[in-house]
Amino acid sequence: MTTLALSCGPLEAEGYVIRRSGMHWLRDDGYVCRPNEVVGFCNISLEQASGRRSGQLPLASEMELHVAFAPRIGGRLRVSHGNSPGGYLNNLGLHVWNPNDVFGYLEDASHDEAAIADPGELRLLMIAGRRMSGLADTNIGILPGWHSRSRAWWCDRPGGDLSTLLCLGLCDAAGVVRGNETPFVEAFEAIPSPAQFVYVPDHPIVPCAPILLEQLMRSPAQNETLAADLSAALNSGSVVPNADDWMFAGALLYSLQNSPMRDKYEVLTPTGLRNLGPADTILLSMAAEVRSVLRHKKLGYSVQILRHRQTAAGPAIRSWLSSAFEPVKRTVKDVQRDYRKLIDAVAAQTGARVVILNRMSTSGYEDITSYSAFDAPLGDTLENISAKEMNLMLHDLAEECDFSIVDVDAIAADLGGSEHLPDGIHHSAAMQAMVRSEIMHILSTADHTTSN
Amino acid sequence: MRHELRLTKINPNMNAAVVETIYATTGSALKVGDRLCDLSVDLSSGFSQYCPPISYFRVVVREKVWLQKLLIVPGGSYDVGQLMAVFSTEQDDPGEEAPARLLRITTAGIAHHSGMWSAGDR
Repeated sequence: MTTLALSCGPLEAEGYVIRRSGMHWLRDDGYVCRPNEVVGFCNISLEQASGRRSGQLPLASEMELHVAFAPRIGGRLRVSHGNSPGGYLNNLGLHVWNPNDVFGYLEDASHDEAAIADPGELRLLMIAGRRMSGLADTNIGILPGWHSRSRAWWCDRPGGDLSTLLCLGLCDAAGVVRGNETPFVEAFEAIPSPAQFVYVPDHPIVPCAPILLEQLMRSPAQNETLAADLSAALNSGSVVPNADDWMFAGALLYSLQNSPMRDKYEVLTPTGLRNLGPADTILLSMAAEVRSVLRHKKLGYSVQILRHRQTAAGPAIRSWLSSAFEPVKRTVKDVQRDYRKLIDAVAAQTGARVVILNRMSTSGYEDITSYSAFDAPLGDTLENISAKEMNLMLHDLAEECDFSIVDVDAIAADLGGSEHLPDGIHHSAAMQAMVRSEIMHILSTADHTTSN
Repeated sequence: MRHELRLTKINPNMNAAVVETIYATTGSALKVGDRLCDLSVDLSSGFSQYCPPISYFRVVVREKVWLQKLLIVPGGSYDVGQLMAVFSTEQDDPGEEAPARLLRITTAGIAHHSGMWSAGDR
């Protein structure tokens, strides 16, 4: 029987001391784990090294910072409990990072051992979250609380570029990238090569093409005008804002004033900090291309908020949305035009490539024998015709624009839509795995990886 | 001859549906292709902690009938199997005559629209 000591391995940030909390095990002693399966995590923090001038710490805006551990080979996990004080203290960075610290052992290690240089050195998955508010500091588990952006990357030794996939989609994309169990863990077990995944949530604003384009192109002066207008509306409107209104307004303003497509990234690696430029690939959901957006009557900017998100707003925000905005209908041609503008602008501004999830367009339960009961144009009434028209539009656009389509429609038809995509937007785990695999295939074949 | 409309499973995971719009009125004659009602199906059973998995459907008649009793109201929630309406093949009400069978209908997924009950609640 082979027994391997599982050490945490190197992690460097030149000029800084990396501190870690005690180990939080996600798997029990005796659990038989797969290669690259995350079994536990620590919180980490950086502090100035002795003698270094104080200044802005790296990753300072990401107050959730974890490193998750995955054995490189499969085997039976044996947990060491000796290095943690437990309780609240287990969340604090009481330990200086030491690459030789042993967290546990692996028994009955799989025969892949001989093929790996350091089979006992744990693979490190870095996970970082930027809180929507500094108040959202729920310190339990991986990425607790409310984040305006979260991301993860395998902290492997250098040897290749680290590309970044930015997810700006709805639930169909979010589940594929961020997962629905432990954040990012499902996705990264399936990703063998170094990559960074970034997830920006779809609240409060729907990430549809015109809104993303406006985020990208808006100037600092326009941002200030927009903030002043929102402030004036809440302070001088006929409805007194309540707590929900102020919370919603803060999140709304944050979304309007920031373009995640321009974000740059600091990453920790075994050999030190690296700075990455904006995302190489941007993942969008065509389901986000709603047929109507709200346009601000005076300033001309667009917003759209999913119906279930609107209930989070208080009465003053709802009143403002009703009075200060007007609905603008979008035809399929309008959506195509908006996509074209966005894809061109992103290519010009950051060089990123766009990948779009199309929509499920068939359903087994329908048995339409006559269209007389459905108002024309049928694409505005029947979901399956709307989805087909949009999917066709996307393929037409691909003839003239450089972007990739993930054929969710075909994958769902193969797997069975009623079981794996019952409402057209929320995927089963099997469906997520297939879509994820398709995205990774697109990324691996696209010549767009950059390093900064 | 008496026919019934009962809520059937449009999706294997559903337990109930909410009536969003009613198009037919009691006593009216319906022909093939006439609309009966729109429904919403929430797979989270209306208690959505997350993004709610809601879909909308239209129920359309596939045979010529008379609507004798309408047992649904907009905004009402109905369980799978529950009786929603009673129809007859003749204009006269068949009374408590045993139903011959379920009404033949078409069901199709539709987009949310402003005429729905849920469009007025927010």
